[in-house]
Amino acid sequence: MNAGQRSARRLASRSAPSSESICTSCLLRLSIQPRRYASAAVAEVERPTLDPSSQHIPPVTASAPRKAYRILASPVISRPPVLTRQLTDFEKAFYLYQKRLNERLALPFSRYFYFKKANPADLEWKRKARGRKSAARDIGVYSGYGDEAWNDEVLVGDVTAEPDNMREALLRDAAGQTIIEAEKVTDAEPGSDAVAEDAAALEVARQDLESRIDRPMPRATEADEKNDVKSLNRKLDRSLYLLLRNKEGRWRFPEDRLHARENLHQAAERIIVQAGGLNMNTWVVGNHPIGHFQFEFPKLQIQDIPYQKPDVEGENKIVTYRREEYGEKVFFMKSRIMAGQADLAKNTFDDQDFQWLAKEEIAEKVTPKYWQSIKNMLVER
Amino acid sequence: MQPPSMSLLRAFSPLCASLPIPPPVHCLNKSFSTNPSLLARKGKNKGPKPDQRIALLRYALQHPLTPRPLRFSRNRSLRHWTIHRAFQLHQANVRLAQTLSLEKQYRSMASACEALRLMDSDGLTEQEREQLGVKSAGAGPEKGEGGKLYRVAMEKKGIWEGVPIEYARAQVDTPPRAGWNHAWTR
Repeated sequence: MNAGQRSARRLASRSAPSSESICTSCLLRLSIQPRRYASAAVAEVERPTLDPSSQHIPPVTASAPRKAYRILASPVISRPPVLTRQLTDFEKAFYLYQKRLNERLALPFSRYFYFKKANPADLEWKRKARGRKSAARDIGVYSGYGDEAWNDEVLVGDVTAEPDNMREALLRDAAGQTIIEAEKVTDAEPGSDAVAEDAAALEVARQDLESRIDRPMPRATEADEKNDVKSLNRKLDRSLYLLLRNKEGRWRFPEDRLHARENLHQAAERIIVQAGGLNMNTWVVGNHPIGHFQFEFPKLQIQDIPYQKPDVEGENKIVTYRREEYGEKVFFMKSRIMAGQADLAKNTFDDQDFQWLAKEEIAEKVTPKYWQSIKNMLVER
Repeated sequence: MQPPSMSLLRAFSPLCASLPIPPPVHCLNKSFSTNPSLLARKGKNKGPKPDQRIALLRYALQHPLTPRPLRFSRNRSLRHWTIHRAFQLHQANVRLAQTLSLEKQYRSMASACEALRLMDSDGLTEQEREQLGVKSAGAGPEKGEGGKLYRVAMEKKGIWEGVPIEYARAQVDTPPRAGWNHAWTR
């Protein structure tokens, strides 16, 4: 590669002592000077323009402002689904059908392999199995043996296939509820003290068992019932995204312009902290954007961009560069939240409100053009 | 020098044929085995009783009902076939929806990266530069600074470092008892 092929900007940046710490706009400013070397000889002629005295960056206000687009990074913070998806009715029915077919095909449960004969555990198992007719606990009362084995299809409207129902059946079995109901019918005469004592003791035993059983939490949480859009406990089987209402009152993902020499990943990490506070355990997934949004401003905006000169001390330390911005280009960065909650107390972008929303709820909040750009990168669940 | 061995000659010589040649070992045993065959023990010393669990396992595995027949009536087998096909169709639809969703995400990602690639450091593409009448020769994406954002975005170095362990959390059927940890602090 000869010198003539190199762009003036690269030459300028190579000759400048602190080229690594100069921001984009400064570098461009340097590059505006016509320094296209056709050959080394021309370079020799032009060398005097690069002497240390001319290294001083001229104030931007002297020349016309640069035309540009505002480049923004925007972390799309999502909470991944915690729960598996809700099964469709067809899936539920099909799974029960398969389980009952399996019951017809499986070998009989070899009880004496698992329980010693006439052990309490064996007797308990026998008693429970008598009630449900088979070893399986989540398929309703059905036996794959005998004359009724053909009757393995449930009727329309049967609730055996409902996951809640199956869970309840398993719990009932674990609690040994049938034991208590069966032993309530004792041989003792009604009205005697023995019966009352027995009943009380059984009731205590039943409550003790109940308390020891770990009942799973319901799938619909309190936040679901209240539709608390600020809570991360809502819609646990969906992805939720953090949306902020900015100072213009528009709902957007958190966003900010790129600072001096930031890349998109670094900017996303900074914006998450600046927008939602420190107390979010987040992870910016990749280096590349997952979507972009372009918007032309109705009229151009003049923007002064401050730049801190690294080598200079005193009043000349901070210089401003003026830019004419014709629009904005937003690059969305995928990020995940693992714990914590957003907090706008220390928000540096003057955002007013935040919400955790699923995909279809975002569509109602944002502008149609914004939705067109983001809808493909958001997942259904 | 040694005299030649007579053993071969002795073997074939009719003079020595009267000597009894032992028959091969395998001809002695009916079972064609070199192991000594044991006679069944009688009386008390019948040997160790097999483990009851093994007996039970063998009983369970060699149940007289294996393999169990699954007999369907004509209508029932037709119904079964219909159910099976319907579920296949349903699964295909679910898979298609997943694929489409992934494809949408991929397209979105690819077009964002393409927009990033075509953009110079001022955020302008070639067309936009023409429209706005910008004549900055050095700001093109392929030369120097312009493509920096794109170049860094395409870097794959260290992307597997720092993947949080929480990311491996599997989805479950019911929510955790404590719910989401809203009170997490750094």
